[in-house]
Amino acid sequence: MKYGTSGKILRVDLTTQTTRVETFDENFYRVYPGGKALAANILLRELAPHVEPLDPENILILANGLLTGAPFSTATRFNAIARSPLTRGFGESEAGGFWGPELKMAGWEAIVLTGRAAHPVYLWIHNDQVEIRDARDLWGQEPEFVQNKIRADHNDKLIRVLQIGIAGENLVRYASLTNDLRHFNGRNGMGAVMGSKNLRAVAVRGTTRYRDFAHDPRPIEELGRALAKKVKAHPQSWDLQDKGTPGLVGALNAAGILPTRNFRQGAFEHVDKVKWEAYEKELLTARRSCYACAVRCKREVGVNDRYQVSDAYGGPEYETLDGLGPNCGIGDLQAIAKANELCNRYGLDGISTGATIAFAMECFEHNLITTHETGGIELRFGNVDAMLALVEMIAHRRGIGDLLADGTRRAAERIGGDARFFAMQVKGQELPMHDPRGKVAVGLGYAINDAGADHLTAPHDPMVANPDSISFKGAQPLGIEAIPARELSARKVRNYTILENWTSAEKVLGVCFFGPAPRSFIQVDEIVTAVRAATGWDVTLADILQIGERATTLARAFNTREGFTRADDTLPERLFQPLENGALQGVAISKPEFENAILELYEQKGWTRAGAPTRAKLRDLGIEWVADLIGA
Amino acid sequence: MHLHLGGQLSWYDSQKRAQIEIHLREPIALRALLDQLGVPRAEIAIAALDGVAVEIENAIVHDEDRVDVYPPVGGGIFSAK
Repeated sequence: MKYGTSGKILRVDLTTQTTRVETFDENFYRVYPGGKALAANILLRELAPHVEPLDPENILILANGLLTGAPFSTATRFNAIARSPLTRGFGESEAGGFWGPELKMAGWEAIVLTGRAAHPVYLWIHNDQVEIRDARDLWGQEPEFVQNKIRADHNDKLIRVLQIGIAGENLVRYASLTNDLRHFNGRNGMGAVMGSKNLRAVAVRGTTRYRDFAHDPRPIEELGRALAKKVKAHPQSWDLQDKGTPGLVGALNAAGILPTRNFRQGAFEHVDKVKWEAYEKELLTARRSCYACAVRCKREVGVNDRYQVSDAYGGPEYETLDGLGPNCGIGDLQAIAKANELCNRYGLDGISTGATIAFAMECFEHNLITTHETGGIELRFGNVDAMLALVEMIAHRRGIGDLLADGTRRAAERIGGDARFFAMQVKGQELPMHDPRGKVAVGLGYAINDAGADHLTAPHDPMVANPDSISFKGAQPLGIEAIPARELSARKVRNYTILENWTSAEKVLGVCFFGPAPRSFIQVDEIVTAVRAATGWDVTLADILQIGERATTLARAFNTREGFTRADDTLPERLFQPLENGALQGVAISKPEFENAILELYEQKGWTRAGAPTRAKLRDLGIEWVADLIGA
Repeated sequence: MHLHLGGQLSWYDSQKRAQIEIHLREPIALRALLDQLGVPRAEIAIAALDGVAVEIENAIVHDEDRVDVYPPVGGGIFSAK
């Protein structure tokens, strides 16, 4: 009987240049149904403790979610998971686009990559045919060239290419993976892990159909048709299609939580130059989609003016727009678009790149680094040329770029002095462009997340603050209550825990954060219906929330084994200090309230006061085998 | 006056306008103005009058004003509480 998967994992040992097929059964898949859960299980079982992230022994897992490739909007995501070179903990990053669904159609749920090739290679997968091919002529080339060359060599324009860029080759600790040039596993340095294996690309072509795997494809196909009609009839999905994430700039600035000048400020005086109205006028050339997604939230841009910005690599999302813009004190939209293009062209995470440049600018303004170290660059907030130069230097590890390519935490340790106060990071990963001083549960997510600071651990507080809002009503079946955005209390922790399980489940199912409620238009019961149809299992919402909880618990266990403790579940000191300007001027997170909330979070999750899962919790989740690994 | 319906709020305007010019013969309560346009109160998280955040329930709008309103999605809620 079909249950939504081929049941096949591709194993690739790059050292020995061998591949093999592994199969799993339905009982296994019920516990680890794809994505983060499947990959975390493999990483925890198979990676020895304390392996250096860029050593050949590290394992890089590319895993589809249970619904990845299902023909309905936002079911496009796959995970890249390994020990992170940025955090040295559980590393994960998701992407949409077309590569995950193509892997599904080639008949694979996941690829497990180990070892290191003797010279650059790429992996070519055509359904069940797998080859490790020479990539010496692709190494050092730009992604567009690599993609075109692979497609030309196989005479097939529909091949989907997942690859690193020059930053991944140079082992920049926040190097990304890109597929179809416009979709990114940006975070946690998965590009550096792939680069360390001498693996430039994984090219896939598959010719099966999703209905070949689904228990009953009809409800999923009906859902796909219904959602396609609903996109424009629902305000949240309509807005994502109309503006995409760049639409956030104006709202966050008005709310006083637009990260500005390395999170010192919450409002930017030149915001009108970078918000959506300017973006639409100056940059936008087209709207694009991921596989089978009617939302079409991706922006395409082109500039042929003061800067030449190629339309090949996608337009800035909100994160890079603010990170390379206001957070660096920059209000030049064309320059931001150029910097975004460079990040994408070189395979750099736009979030960490922007945050690292902002860190360096603040260090420069405090004379912790000088023109001697920068090679003459006046690295001040607002200096557009300096920002663009640093993107180049980081990608190529040139000059001070070599130091900054290791991320803010390592750079601060080497710079010394007060530099550590300017490193806006958690567990070594730089903060995304959301200020928890205006939405405190985002801070809980930054602190608790095993991959370091991340803005997609749970929907943000304002979405579930008003009981009459569409977003709250959409998420109400999860069992949450409406709570003000800045309230940091036991009931907020409870909300966070539920919403984190829901979001984690999305990472197991392969559904985009911009699909389900409360962020957008897919209702909770529609996700349950899709999982039932795909698998034939009589699952409930509670089962799906537990799937999410199990995945985060596996990640937590990985970090516990690596020596992470409560001390790692914290926030940069700056967030406990008041914002300098904007609507929330003078507002800070209360440190005592935050510390209490972390302990409350541990208790509600069934963890010890040191932040480690208990044996009882692991047993409840059906993964008691993990207890022996972490001494629980 | 100039009204900016940020984010998804322009979905509620019959013409999906984000920027609306309105001639006011006399001052009007912001809440009443938004009610007339069919923008639900529950979907508004932030309102700014001439760039300064205001409470929707209390704000009065004049013909020379600029008003920006935003939904909660992604953004914060203007409240220091």
